[in-house]
Amino acid sequence: MTKQSTISRAEGWRRRGPLLPALIFTIVVTQVPFAFTLYYSTQSWNLVRPGSREFIGLRNYLYVFRDSQFREVALNTVILIAGTVLISAVLGLAVALLLNRTFRGRGVVRTLVITPFLITPVAGALLWKTAMFDPVFGLVNFVLQPLGLGDVEWVSQFPLASVMANLIWRWTPFMMLLILAGLQSMPTDVLEAGRVDGAGPITLFRELTLPHLRRFIELGVVLGAIYLINTFGAVYMMTQGGPGVESANLPFYIYQRAFLGFDIGQAAAMGVITVVATILISTLALRLLFKTFTATREAA
Amino acid sequence: MSIPATRLPRRFLRRPGRTLAEITTVLVAAAVAFPLYWMVLTAFKPRGQIQSSDPRPWTSTPTLENFRQVFTADDFGRYFLNSVVVATAVVLLSLLVSFLAAVALTRFRFRGRTVLLVMILIAQMVPVEALTIPLFFLMRSVGSAVPQFGLNHLGSLVLVHLAFSLPFAIWMLRGFVAAVPEELEEAATLDGAGRVRFTWQVLFPLVAPGLVAMSVLSFIHAWNDFLFAKTFIISATQNQTLPLAILTFFKPTGNDWGAIMAGSTLMTIPVLVFFVLVQRHLISGIAGAVKG
Repeated sequence: MTKQSTISRAEGWRRRGPLLPALIFTIVVTQVPFAFTLYYSTQSWNLVRPGSREFIGLRNYLYVFRDSQFREVALNTVILIAGTVLISAVLGLAVALLLNRTFRGRGVVRTLVITPFLITPVAGALLWKTAMFDPVFGLVNFVLQPLGLGDVEWVSQFPLASVMANLIWRWTPFMMLLILAGLQSMPTDVLEAGRVDGAGPITLFRELTLPHLRRFIELGVVLGAIYLINTFGAVYMMTQGGPGVESANLPFYIYQRAFLGFDIGQAAAMGVITVVATILISTLALRLLFKTFTATREAA
Repeated sequence: MSIPATRLPRRFLRRPGRTLAEITTVLVAAAVAFPLYWMVLTAFKPRGQIQSSDPRPWTSTPTLENFRQVFTADDFGRYFLNSVVVATAVVLLSLLVSFLAAVALTRFRFRGRTVLLVMILIAQMVPVEALTIPLFFLMRSVGSAVPQFGLNHLGSLVLVHLAFSLPFAIWMLRGFVAAVPEELEEAATLDGAGRVRFTWQVLFPLVAPGLVAMSVLSFIHAWNDFLFAKTFIISATQNQTLPLAILTFFKPTGNDWGAIMAGSTLMTIPVLVFFVLVQRHLISGIAGAVKG
């Protein structure tokens, strides 16, 4: 009995073996640093004042919560993520439906539509700032001119919305890609059967297509949100977070605090708050992901 | 979108609806691709036309002057090579590591499997901003032991991007590995192939299209990164990657838009080519991953 259990334990480790490199590596690079972030967040530590480092408990958190700029930045981050994810999911669905039909040049059109996702965020942000939003040369003002709106300085007057427009442009293709994958994995006989039963296109879409796509849309929303929390290049290139902190998001603000303001303690506290908020919000998201894990061959 | 009840007019009416959809599609594609077009156009425009007060959406005198400027004056080739090295290393390593992990997670049963799966997913959920500072110090200490993986060296970027691309890679590969029927392994075992041999000689080639498709995401991630390149490569300008190289064209004396756009164009090409090559596999791969 004891012998058998030791064998199965050895076997168990042999089976886990291939997983270990990935696991150890991700833990070392993502979880261990987080433990350090927790530790730094209890320190009064500014690199500008060497030797000033001391333990101050939770006071950094107090400072951060009292910081009205931080609250504004946190709100910006939520608006940016939620707005981008929702709008690009809706647009992505629309574009995917348009592209899920056969027509001449479909391959070219599909590639064109995906390119925003492939272009470097830094370059994409620059293009929006100049080619689209520039008050004199930009396309947006050029198009709006006939409506008498041709002299808006988009990036300085609506900085957060401008960054969001760029992000939506970038993430719609990603959503479209996922939803397209869903549409193409959809069994055609079901649609055919529905059509024979006399259902109109709107009914077919609502009763058959949308439920099938639900998981793909959920996946897109979750993954999109995970990546969008880390948006940095777009803010850096388009607005530098300004004016003030009107368009700064958390990565940018923390970067400013840590690497330009050298306040490691407070920046770390902000990082911890971000993680806690993310985990709270994404518990719900994780549950959705789990549904895709557990409900394996339920929809074939 | 009202559909008349009788058959004949319905077939008649389907055509205009279809044409309308096609026109919409083309319009959407054009609008989405416009900034891209502008980028390429500006890259080929002669300097005098770029900042004119009367911008035109075409040029009759395309020139390679901007590209020449990018390659000669600003050491762009070096940065390009750096980006290629980092992205390639990340892709190859993440292929290997995530393939092994996906095999363990889908083929083998062991205690704590679900817990480990959840841990891998949670690793992906920690926002980078909470980790930038300790990672900076971590890379500084790594650098004092192994300089190649420390600050100011490309190795530090490889390590970080690898860690952040693994969770999603593993998650997607599970679908591909699970799609290979169990009977195949039984057959291979009957033929005398051990587990290791089965994994590398049967499973690996079968999953290869999936591996390639998902590597495009690791590639995009590493290739496009700005935050880590900006925080880790501080003083060693010879080790900068492309997104930062673009910044060097912003000068106090006036931004060199031609060079910026030529650089951006050059930067987009590898990703575009990679993506076009694998896009079919990517779409079927996503469908497979979602179905589980």
